[in-house]
Amino acid sequence: MAEVEARIPNRRDEMRTIAALVEQFGLTHLVPSRIVNELNVALDEILNNIISYGFEPGEQSEILVRLSLQQGERVAEIEDAGRPFAPLGAPPPDLAGGLRERRVGGLGIHFVRNLMDAVEYARVGECNRLRLSKTLAPDEREKPGGERHGNS
Amino acid sequence: MEIVEMHKGPVTIVEPRGSIDTSGAAPFGDRIFELISSGSRNLVVDLQHIVYISSAGFRALLVAHKRADEAKAKLVLCGVSAEVRRLFELGRFLDLFTICATRDEGIAKAT
Repeated sequence: MAEVEARIPNRRDEMRTIAALVEQFGLTHLVPSRIVNELNVALDEILNNIISYGFEPGEQSEILVRLSLQQGERVAEIEDAGRPFAPLGAPPPDLAGGLRERRVGGLGIHFVRNLMDAVEYARVGECNRLRLSKTLAPDEREKPGGERHGNS
Repeated sequence: MEIVEMHKGPVTIVEPRGSIDTSGAAPFGDRIFELISSGSRNLVVDLQHIVYISSAGFRALLVAHKRADEAKAKLVLCGVSAEVRRLFELGRFLDLFTICATRDEGIAKAT
């Protein structure tokens, strides 16, 4: 199992650290670029949500992001100590409307739900824990001895 | 975010690089706004060097398109990869933007 984690302050200008972490993890572990990009979209949505709505203005906190490759899955876990945040309970976005009427509210969670294979949320004590995962394709599963074959 | 710009006749081609996400959305949107404010009326946004767009990026694209409309400027997209196109589809944005298959087609549409 391969794992890496980083903590960032709850500020938008720190989000780039996580995008770089995902890219590097992807390169190191030969994750197809499509998966890396999907993870980065999902993480951009989640982190932006946490930073925007999870804390009082000016409240300083940290967000933990852990990336791992587990049996058959690529996983991103996000932990924060902000307000309870239940992405799965959010209303679906309004995707109708021409240029003038379109709003992007709810689009982020819509992306997360559709790009990830599984999204799990738990409130543990004072923390939100979100687990995003992408299942590896059958030909990408880890073989005995750690050898992995895959294609993009 | 790095933004490369070129001109072909009256058309300004804007080529952002990287990702139009929370970090990239503001510089990208600001630049389009500056171009329109300073008189550009024919814009092609070439997304070939964009690896992904998050909802923050789509918000910036929508705002850019609205501003272009208000200024009676043309704003056309090109260089949309299959992966990025999937995001447009998920967000039901394909009908809202003029997306061209090639840059030349985009330049023609924006003229």
